[in-house]
Amino acid sequence: MNDTLQKTRHRFGSPAVRSVVRVSTSAALFALAACGKADRTPTASGASNDLLIVGYDREPDTMNRYATHILEDIESCVVEGLVTNDEQMRIVPVLAAEIPTIENKGVVMRADGGMDVIWKLRPGVRWHDGTPHTSADVKFTVDAINKGDWKPESVDGFDRITGVDTPDSLTAVVHYKELYAPYQLQFVRGTLPKHLLQGRDLNTANDYNRAPLGTGPYRVKEWKTGEYVLLEAVPSYWRTGAPPKIKQLLFRFLTNTTTRINLLKSGEVHMVALVPWDQVRELTPISAVRLNKVVGNGYEHVTLNQRKYPAFADLRVRQALAHAVDRPLLIKTILDGQVEVVNGPIQPLNPAYEPNVKRYDFDTTLSNRLLDEAGWTRGADGMRAKDGKPLAFTLITQSGFAIRENVSQSLQQAFRAIGVDMQIRLMDGTAISSVWFKGDFDAMLHWWQMGADPELTLFFAHDRTPPAGRNINYVNDTTLSQLLYASDRTVDAERRRALLRGAQRRIAELAPEIVLYNTAKVDAVPATLKGFTGNPTNAGPFWNVHAWEIVPR
Amino acid sequence: MRLVTRRLLQSIPLLLLVSVVVFSLLQAVPGGPLAAYLENPNVRPEDIARLRAAMGLDAPAGVQYVRWLSAFVRGDWGYSYADGRPVLDRVLERIPATLELVLGSTLLALLIAVPAGIAAATRARVDGMLRVFTTAGVSLPVFWLGLVLQLVFAITLGWLPSSGRQSFGDTGLADRLTHLVLPTLVLAVVQGAAWTRYLRRSMRDTLDLPYVRAARLRGLSERRLVWRHALPNALGPFVTVVLLDAAMLASGAVVTESVFAWPGVGSLFTEALVKRDYPVLMAFLMLGAFAVVTLNLAADLLAQRLDPRSRDHAATGA
Repeated sequence: MNDTLQKTRHRFGSPAVRSVVRVSTSAALFALAACGKADRTPTASGASNDLLIVGYDREPDTMNRYATHILEDIESCVVEGLVTNDEQMRIVPVLAAEIPTIENKGVVMRADGGMDVIWKLRPGVRWHDGTPHTSADVKFTVDAINKGDWKPESVDGFDRITGVDTPDSLTAVVHYKELYAPYQLQFVRGTLPKHLLQGRDLNTANDYNRAPLGTGPYRVKEWKTGEYVLLEAVPSYWRTGAPPKIKQLLFRFLTNTTTRINLLKSGEVHMVALVPWDQVRELTPISAVRLNKVVGNGYEHVTLNQRKYPAFADLRVRQALAHAVDRPLLIKTILDGQVEVVNGPIQPLNPAYEPNVKRYDFDTTLSNRLLDEAGWTRGADGMRAKDGKPLAFTLITQSGFAIRENVSQSLQQAFRAIGVDMQIRLMDGTAISSVWFKGDFDAMLHWWQMGADPELTLFFAHDRTPPAGRNINYVNDTTLSQLLYASDRTVDAERRRALLRGAQRRIAELAPEIVLYNTAKVDAVPATLKGFTGNPTNAGPFWNVHAWEIVPR
Repeated sequence: MRLVTRRLLQSIPLLLLVSVVVFSLLQAVPGGPLAAYLENPNVRPEDIARLRAAMGLDAPAGVQYVRWLSAFVRGDWGYSYADGRPVLDRVLERIPATLELVLGSTLLALLIAVPAGIAAATRARVDGMLRVFTTAGVSLPVFWLGLVLQLVFAITLGWLPSSGRQSFGDTGLADRLTHLVLPTLVLAVVQGAAWTRYLRRSMRDTLDLPYVRAARLRGLSERRLVWRHALPNALGPFVTVVLLDAAMLASGAVVTESVFAWPGVGSLFTEALVKRDYPVLMAFLMLGAFAVVTLNLAADLLAQRLDPRSRDHAATGA
């Protein structure tokens, strides 16, 4: 299973000899590289309107947007939603003619406590095979998801829909049995083509799942497993009646980060999405590459599990830990200044963002005072204990993620300075997911990539602890839960935002987690690419790919 | 023929045992096929429960194993949890790329190891020089060597493609061969170095045997002594090592495939492991076990051809 031959059977020579050989081989190879560099500068150019090559970090499992559980970058070039999120996180119509709201009579509250949402579809849109896109496709999508014999990734929202009426080919009236605040994003993943999929088993419809029929600016020309997906421009895209400017998009699957960056430098790929923060500096001098940074819709933080480690149930302990972390220094040193300090779960671009929350600035004097007040006193070794029990816990985080490993060590030092002993346990990404889902850890360094909708109930309501939700802090606060559930039942956008702002202030007071920084997204694109904006949400950087164009300088 | 039949029959309980062990280990590893869904806030706990039931993961592990085994022996390898495609299709489409890499690197490694091993065993000066290179070969980490060769020959000098199995839009043989060079070279350097050392040792041992010394005293030429009398005997254990190493390689040169974005079974294995795609992992590991059993048998048969003494052992069942 490994690359063989790194085994004891084949170990020859003394360690000293091996070291000498390693060093001299390295020197020789780097010398060769240096000689070559003299007359060959990495260009990273070569992108043209004929072909844009994207170095992509994973191969999609499926191109069916409702079934995939990873980012939908490639899929969204082909299959469009009724709406999408733009680079400012605003919800904008795509296949819908407008966003239904109470004001434009697109949302009607029923006396029985339910609601009807009236989706007006954009006229003149056709599937790539020429069939018109209609409200029947909306109804078919809801029925297919709710029928129960298919395995879509999520049925969130759909399970509250009792039915869809289609009074005409461009109007779909969606009936909800109860109020559902994020209704505007219900069809962000688009619709399924009824004329193609009716009567078929969607679990095994691999022709569609590998090359879906869409309405977007591109269609799948070839998917070479393990190597690439090639998209070609459709001859007549509905927005313009013409093909998009870039004729072909080639997504090469390059799972190794170093390889991806190397190929960007050599010009073998033209674009890399989500450049690791610690590699940004290396790419900055390359003139043919433009680094586009947007504020992310996620945040890195330390979850403090109050159920597993009862000391965290004391607010003073949580606040003391939060004050012990010098976040600006951590960002400046480990993250090369690429991200920003944030103070809560809803991120600055979200319209529901609340900037005026309690902050936990670096203040070890305050940390020490809070811990003293909480009864955790220092022993002869400088470490704190209470009733004979040390203030000591284990932090889990993902292995193989250098930044996170470094941040963990920095936190360990910061906590040690206030007399708190924190051990670090590294786990692989898949294993860590199952551990947190069971709430089986003391503390965890990780991020939440939030949904475009600002719902927080799943993460902080008292009754949404695992397995019912993601409140893995096990925070239990009546005021907070009331605010969160009220926000879920409020369809009016402004009133809902006001409730969520109140919830953010309450969360900051409770300090259930140590919020560190925003997960900024850095994309490397050709300097000659016009129209690229990036996107903080899961809509991804390809959300407006129809508007891209290579304009040679 | 009897030997082949007997060995293949013996391998059935062995493979069965392997399947039980592998299945149990996969179940014991933290995380599962649904772990990948957990990061997405749109996926609710209700969705996780629904998907778990749809995948049959809510059944006890023993039941899951029996279901898998009964289907597997009937040729139904199931469907990938990741993309819903038949497991057999997913594995088969990766095998050609892996075979290219294994055959290429094995041939190149043999081209390096056989002459170098013989020369090192028979000429002291050559031996000293080769020792440096072979020590380097077995000491350098594969991922490091891969990245450095990529940096030098592809990124900086631009002589060779850096990754992939072929250039986009170019289906020519020359293009395919140039893509094969770097990953093959990385594996061949490591493998060739080890095999050189192994053959050198084996040749040295053979050249020290009394019958070789007697032949030398009878005045046989050094060339005839080495090629006609010593080499066939030294090759017996060497061939076993080569075939077993090739079997390991066939199971996937995981690191090399990752560095060079090579679309073989190694990268499929990595992907399946990350996603805990049990049906793919089981199929992959069972194929790997079968490859080891088969190539082990091939090594024994070849050793018999090369060394009549082992034929006698096999005949007496020793």
